[in-house]
Amino acid sequence: MMGLSESADKISTESGGRFVPVAFLQRYGREIGLPVIVVILTIVFSANSEVFLSLPNFRNIGVSAAALAAVSFGQTFAVLTAGLDLSVGSIVALVSIVGAIVMRDHGIAAGMAASLATGALVGLVNGIVITRFKVFPFIATLAMMSIVSGLALSLSGGVAVTGVPGAFADLAYELILGVPVPVVMALAVLLVAYVILGYSRLGRRIYAVGGNEEAARLSGIEVRGIKVAAYILSGLCAAVGSVILTARVASGQPSLGATLPLESVAAVVLGGISLFGGRGSVVGVAFGVLFVSILSNGLNLLNVPSYTQMMIIGGALILAVALDQVFIGSRMGRKS
Amino acid sequence: MNNSFRSEAAVTPDSGRETSPLVVLDNLVKDYPGVRALRGASMDLRRGEVHALVGENGAGKSTLIRILSGDVLPDGGSIAIDGRPVVFAGPMDARRHGIVTIFQELMIVPELTVAENIFLGNEPASFGAFYSRREAERRAAEILRTLGAGLNIRPSQQAGSLSTAQKQLVEIARALALRAPVIVMDEPTAALSEKEATALRQLIVRLRSEGTSILYVSHRLDEVMEIANRVTVLRGGERIATLDIGAIAGTGELIGLMVGRPLAELFPPRNAKVGEVAFSVSNLTRRGVFEDISFNVRAGEVVGFAGLVGAGRTEVMRAIFGADAPDSGVIRKKGQPVDIRRPRDAIASGIAYLPEDRKDHGLVLSMSGAENVVMASLGKSCTAGIVSWKAVRRNAQDIAGPLQFRGQLDALAGTASGGNQQKLVIGKWVLTGADVLIFDEPTRGIDVGAKAEVYRLIHRLASEGAAVILVSSELSELMNVCHRIYVMSGGRILDEVSQEEFDEQRILAGAFAAHLAGKPASLMAGAA
Repeated sequence: MMGLSESADKISTESGGRFVPVAFLQRYGREIGLPVIVVILTIVFSANSEVFLSLPNFRNIGVSAAALAAVSFGQTFAVLTAGLDLSVGSIVALVSIVGAIVMRDHGIAAGMAASLATGALVGLVNGIVITRFKVFPFIATLAMMSIVSGLALSLSGGVAVTGVPGAFADLAYELILGVPVPVVMALAVLLVAYVILGYSRLGRRIYAVGGNEEAARLSGIEVRGIKVAAYILSGLCAAVGSVILTARVASGQPSLGATLPLESVAAVVLGGISLFGGRGSVVGVAFGVLFVSILSNGLNLLNVPSYTQMMIIGGALILAVALDQVFIGSRMGRKS
Repeated sequence: MNNSFRSEAAVTPDSGRETSPLVVLDNLVKDYPGVRALRGASMDLRRGEVHALVGENGAGKSTLIRILSGDVLPDGGSIAIDGRPVVFAGPMDARRHGIVTIFQELMIVPELTVAENIFLGNEPASFGAFYSRREAERRAAEILRTLGAGLNIRPSQQAGSLSTAQKQLVEIARALALRAPVIVMDEPTAALSEKEATALRQLIVRLRSEGTSILYVSHRLDEVMEIANRVTVLRGGERIATLDIGAIAGTGELIGLMVGRPLAELFPPRNAKVGEVAFSVSNLTRRGVFEDISFNVRAGEVVGFAGLVGAGRTEVMRAIFGADAPDSGVIRKKGQPVDIRRPRDAIASGIAYLPEDRKDHGLVLSMSGAENVVMASLGKSCTAGIVSWKAVRRNAQDIAGPLQFRGQLDALAGTASGGNQQKLVIGKWVLTGADVLIFDEPTRGIDVGAKAEVYRLIHRLASEGAAVILVSSELSELMNVCHRIYVMSGGRILDEVSQEEFDEQRILAGAFAAHLAGKPASLMAGAA
């Protein structure tokens, strides 16, 4: 893949000169590592299951990965500022309820708008709690997870909101040029996130704030504003994830997305975003999502019980972080 | 291409001492991505000698120390102790072989007591497995007493409450607790006052006489001449020379060897074109920190701020820049009051602040050098809000060229040497087009060659009409670079000295005014 994760890679290294394999691996190993593993996984599963390597199965993987992808791309913004957004699962649930109610009463367009607004609003509250009240992101979003989840349950009375327009529910299964709409939506989020992070002032400032907050502040960067923006973006992306899931279940569900906080953090970390902030690429996160989704799809096809799958994914997460430490060490020229 | 250099390396023959070398580093090579930090460096350390290691930033000193401390593995070459080749598996392994390194960034755990720090990883045990606090504190007190520090540092004290100098003593105590025959010291006096540095040098001489071998890395060549037996000069990752101190004519010769060319004037001539008052501060106060600060700077003028550490100079500058809020006072640019509440406002008014602490406050080490340079003026590299990476690169190169930045702009800022990092920070502010520049200790921890370049840059900025403020603890630097010096003590400006009146005694007297009377002036931190 393109060397996207670090600012340093973006400015081409044509001045570099000779090619040194070891140095190359040290420098780009982490970016290449996950895609290579994804390809290996694909080959292994293809060899062991005749169903795996087929168009319908790939559509299947895509549809089931799409919501996680959208949420994880949002999580990327929060983690890059050296923060965390544990409220993404609750946002998905609240957005599902609000979106379904508005859609039922006022049509699809209004429902979509309400969904995005709800996601952004929760993100804004997250950002304000973290920057103004100086509550650690972990605690702030953990608390918001509970608050927002409670809100979703009260709004819906604890039951599903039905009466979602059929045209909306069909979206989940429609194809554009053979690609399922949820996948198209996730790719759109990826593109937007990629452009924001790599090519907008906001994006570069997110990296700066995550990399060294004090230096960023002394460079005139409005640190609090940047962090709030990151959480709003996370909320927005979670809203998109919620729209995908809501369409799939054709109703507003107050319990939607309960596993997303863990899964999105896993995808982000597997994708090479440093939990200390300022390091990593959203394209890496896309591979993180692919890895998680392909792994669970393939294990399903091989009839591995879902409980065992949970253990395997947890193990992969630990392994990924451990490897990451090795690479960071060698890049910074330090051993531990 | 450098082989010819190495063969020319001047190595003074053994001066009659028959001691065989205790540690021999042979032909060490170390590559980092994109950089060859060491290209076959060799040196040896004898029993009971102080061996100084000098060189410009980027010469390979840090890498050599890190190899010797077991922190990094060399890519080539070998280490031998007592004639036996060794390969260090890690820092603990190096310690087991008797080599203890005291890094510039002190490895003190602030939450633990002094005794616990001294015996970290080496805790005395009682009943087999339990850590014995009493035993540790008894032995710590004993060691501290031999250091002559027994009265000032209590073993049961929290290490976080110690001064930098005391922490340094704790590190040395740690080395003594291990009975290390070899102690490596990386810039041990950089953060010390002159008095503390003197005490440390005396201690080093004493340790040497007791048979300890000390590898001493320092930028302060006067120190090297004072306490070292031999000195090894590194340049560009290679040994240029190893000489007996007695065979060296003076620090000038060392500097020449370090930079590889006769050092042009360290202090370039001052800018002669000083204009109107461009920047002024009236009655700036932040209660409990500084009071009633009033001063002015003219266009093209370099104004120094002298004082002891803690006199409030950095705090004043941070307040001017909007990093901390003052309680009262007016800041004027070209006579017009400016309202500064945040660093952004200061930048918008053309004021730049280069913080004392490059790594923590000046740079985002995980971003490239180029991105750091454009950070405070990212708008200049954008078209319609979209960052153009071509423009980032071009802008950074345009700035870095004249600064004689010798690192790679597309490498992470964390991999650049100290001098190059400072140039990145300077570049960042030059690019904002600021015309009031505040330099806070810009030459701390960088080598002579880079220092001269920083001075030249300061004068160039001044000659282009900028108003420059220079905060420094090095009196010789202030007296040779500035047009005017304000002296601060205890949060107030006590004296203003113009160039014709520059006088070390007078400035020191002002710097000490708020402190104990009767204390001799020569104690000033870093005074030349």
